[in-house]
Amino acid sequence: MTNITVTALPATPLHALEIWSNPAAVANRFEAATGFALPAMGRSSGTDALRLIRYEPTVWLVEGDATALHAISGDDGALTAIGGGVVRVRLSGPDWRLLLMEGGVFDAENPAFAPGCSAATIIDHVAVRLHVLREDVCDAYVPASFSAGLVHFLEEAAGSLVA
Amino acid sequence: MINFTFDGRAYQAREGDTLAAALLRNGIGLVGRSFKYHRPRGIMTAGVEEPNALVTVGEGGRTEPNTRVTDVFVYEGLVARSQNRWPSPSLDFGAVLGLAAPVFSAGFYYKTFFGSAKRWMFYEYFIRKAAGLGNAPTGADPDRFSQRAAFCDVLVVGAGPAGLSAALEAAEAGKRVILVEQDSILGPSLIRDPQELDFTWIEATAVRIRAAGGRILMRTTASGYWEHNLVTLTQRIAEPGQVPANGVAQRLWHIRAEQVILATGSIERPMAFAHNDRPGVMLSQAVRAYVRRFGVTPGKRVVIATNNDDAYKTARALKEAGAEIVAILDARPAPAGSGCGFAVHNNAVPLSTEGARHCLKSVSAQIGGTIQSWNADLLAVSGGFTPVVHLHMQAGGTLDWNEAAQAFVPATVRQNVTTIGGAANPEPMVAVTPISNPKKSFIDFQNDVTLADVDLAWAEGYRSVEHLKRYTTLGMATDQGKTSNMAALGRLAEKQGVAIPEAGLTTFRPPYTPVTMGLLAGAGAKDAGAHVRRLVLYDVHAAKNPIWQPLGYWFRPRAYPLTGESLAQAALREARTVRTHVGMTDVSTLAKFEINGPDAAALLEIICATTVSKLAVGRGRYTFMLREDGFVFDDGTVWRLGENRYLLTSSTGGADRMATHISYVRQYLCPHLRVSAVNVQEHYAGIAVAGPNAKSVMATLIGEEPPRHMSTVPATIAGTPVVVLAASYSGERAFEIYVEASHATPVWTACETEVAAQGGCLFGMEAMEFLRIEKGHLVVGGEIDGRMTPHDLALDKMLNKAGGFIGASGLSRPALSEPGRRQLVGLEGIEGIIPEGSMLITREGEAPQGHVSAAAFRIVEGGSIALGQLEDGFNRHGEELIATSPTRGQKARVRVTHPHFYDTAGERYRD
Repeated sequence: MTNITVTALPATPLHALEIWSNPAAVANRFEAATGFALPAMGRSSGTDALRLIRYEPTVWLVEGDATALHAISGDDGALTAIGGGVVRVRLSGPDWRLLLMEGGVFDAENPAFAPGCSAATIIDHVAVRLHVLREDVCDAYVPASFSAGLVHFLEEAAGSLVA
Repeated sequence: MINFTFDGRAYQAREGDTLAAALLRNGIGLVGRSFKYHRPRGIMTAGVEEPNALVTVGEGGRTEPNTRVTDVFVYEGLVARSQNRWPSPSLDFGAVLGLAAPVFSAGFYYKTFFGSAKRWMFYEYFIRKAAGLGNAPTGADPDRFSQRAAFCDVLVVGAGPAGLSAALEAAEAGKRVILVEQDSILGPSLIRDPQELDFTWIEATAVRIRAAGGRILMRTTASGYWEHNLVTLTQRIAEPGQVPANGVAQRLWHIRAEQVILATGSIERPMAFAHNDRPGVMLSQAVRAYVRRFGVTPGKRVVIATNNDDAYKTARALKEAGAEIVAILDARPAPAGSGCGFAVHNNAVPLSTEGARHCLKSVSAQIGGTIQSWNADLLAVSGGFTPVVHLHMQAGGTLDWNEAAQAFVPATVRQNVTTIGGAANPEPMVAVTPISNPKKSFIDFQNDVTLADVDLAWAEGYRSVEHLKRYTTLGMATDQGKTSNMAALGRLAEKQGVAIPEAGLTTFRPPYTPVTMGLLAGAGAKDAGAHVRRLVLYDVHAAKNPIWQPLGYWFRPRAYPLTGESLAQAALREARTVRTHVGMTDVSTLAKFEINGPDAAALLEIICATTVSKLAVGRGRYTFMLREDGFVFDDGTVWRLGENRYLLTSSTGGADRMATHISYVRQYLCPHLRVSAVNVQEHYAGIAVAGPNAKSVMATLIGEEPPRHMSTVPATIAGTPVVVLAASYSGERAFEIYVEASHATPVWTACETEVAAQGGCLFGMEAMEFLRIEKGHLVVGGEIDGRMTPHDLALDKMLNKAGGFIGASGLSRPALSEPGRRQLVGLEGIEGIIPEGSMLITREGEAPQGHVSAAAFRIVEGGSIALGQLEDGFNRHGEELIATSPTRGQKARVRVTHPHFYDTAGERYRD
């Protein structure tokens, strides 16, 4: 048995922020308004109130209150609500890396995949986005339709995990 | 001691015994009967190469047939049964087949079972009765199977002295190391042959590897080597038939390695001579392993036959264990073996053996020009060594011929892989040409293939080793030729008059050892594969106990039958309610994309083949999409929600494909556009309300005049913001309501209440299919099957005349507008019910001119109708054809019509 819990978190506002022009100007406006920089590819930045994860070259996943982002993006980008279709699944405990190798294809055991890192991958045939929140916590952003099945899979795997 | 049973009798084993060791410890020499001739067979090897001693292990759903007794470690309560015998291995009535051995020669099936298909049906019964060894379990396997990925800098396969040393060096150099060993202990060869490196060294090395961060996987076999240094491992967490401690019986590892080191060793070869398959004839190294590792001496009076030095170690081990070495038959001339202290006969090869079903009694040999016999209960043979090169070859490597060892060894590599140890440097030997009766000289023990079978195949013209393999069945089944291929190659080369390398090689296909199907299925073994996508309103539907229907990965309600209703009755009732009153259904699974930005219309006019930019805010239209080659691949609707904001819907089944397509267009073809294209398929739940009362229902729900056909408005239902689209798939006035998925339930409940109040009901996919067929609407996967152009589907008038959309160029190819293309038609039944999927022919015996893509009934009036594709169909309205399905024995006479059977003017859409 391993030391890990799998929890589906309550729904929260999630948006996709795409910036199609003047990225430097938008980045400056963003940092000035929020106090932190737009994260680089595969990285996250922000706080529990507003966190951004860059998962495509021009697209960020926005978690939290995105009200200010409409004005920040202006004519250089758009914000689209996607929270209804995504369930956040939290993996807590020191063995989350091992659990992610079950049915996985991504090197979650690599120490370089550290807090603040993000990756798009597949777990048991389901496309998910991973975000390392802390050394012992990783969130998986799972399509809502797959979330029940994947949570069941992860719970079963966690219950029988042997290193 | 550990208790186990074999064929119902209780025995005891020692901790760490394989079943083979435990059986030998209990004096059991006869383990089963051979595949074809039911010859008595015992234990030949001590490893995964065992071709003879296959048993069934476990009970119920955990039963594992054809398990090699050398590859299962005894646990408390193990239940094993011999195979391919009735009623017992000792008294097997099937052995009568051995009398007919001359008939069952190579190619028996091909020479015997031919003729018409009807004859084959007759043969099949007997072949299936006779085929196979153990029986597959009929119950479901209660255990789980895990699939896990791992990444490393160095993967070492094989934990012998070479593998352990390589793993240690890499781990202590700071590399991420994985070391795998198929045995239950590290360094088994060092226990068989203690050198300067002993068990203490093995333990210390393992401790150092782990301390340096290395991972060691025991009972794990590298079963396949794939592209990009991907190696699959099969790990036994529980032994065959054993109840796993944590529910997981086996694990399939997918290892991505920067470098792979193969320390897979070699397999000892048997020798070909008459009755070489008798219990009591074993491989020399196996005998040594039983003596030194398990403390079991398989015989008391032993003859050893060899063509190399290694077998002398077996003689010494047996002598130390108290056995008598009555003779060593060395195929090599003197002075080989001289001074060893045993009775060595040079230029000596075994000729034959005699014995009973359970044991060996004597061995005869030719020594120079004379023949001599010895009483013996064990014959240990060593015909040289075959390096285990399977993984090297699967990795794309090549082989060189090592003349001294008479063996193929790894040569060039195509991936980052290195072979070390015995697999790279086999021991030298001399080649021995068999001189015994070829009809009783077995080379493939598992498939009962003799030298005579190879000779017969040659005589009948089979020259290629690949043909030889298939004609004789040599090297097939669980053994995969581990102990037989080199003997067969030697015989083939001898026949061809060439050296062995020129005779060719068969292919080293994965898996190296048998892999249970459950392991390949992984966690999906219990639920038929991948995860089911669950509707956000699943619980709401489930409470009504619908008939569910798979659609892609989704399950959607097919119908909501009332008590006593069949599917067809329920669907027809639901469809009629839609036609006469109102119905509602869950359309959440439709693909949905939100397109935002100043260039949104421009992007959509590349993706869609219709115009988009002319849509006014609040309006929508039907659209369809083409592949580059001009064929329609999906359809849907596009809605202008705001000045620069659009919603595109498309088919459920094509949703993932459409998401990929849009991403491709956005990122590769149009990175310059100022636009955002986001997949919102799951963000919005969708509810469709359709029927003559739909407008009234909608007005009540949103508290205002509903939008007219192909218009959209934002609204509020049950206090929840929604988007209402006025679109129809049923042919009735209809609306689609989109709501953020997490707030869908109250909106659904409000709709259901109002629909019921206005005489309506829920309808499922079956009713939806009836409705859309009657209306003549298309479905992706049915009428849109990837072979139809817009013209074929009568959509060409809707094409964007300005062009510029994907597929416009492909569409201009002359072949796509030539006569004779299949075109969309309607079909009315004249006589009989039109079978869905049937062929359309003009007369019996003529070639099909089209097919029925979807069939249904007129919902209110009754009568069989269908949609189909027919050559030059647009010009054949009124023609009578036959819709025939020979495989189902169904046929109907039909008349070709326009594909719209209901409200052709579209008046019911409008207020």
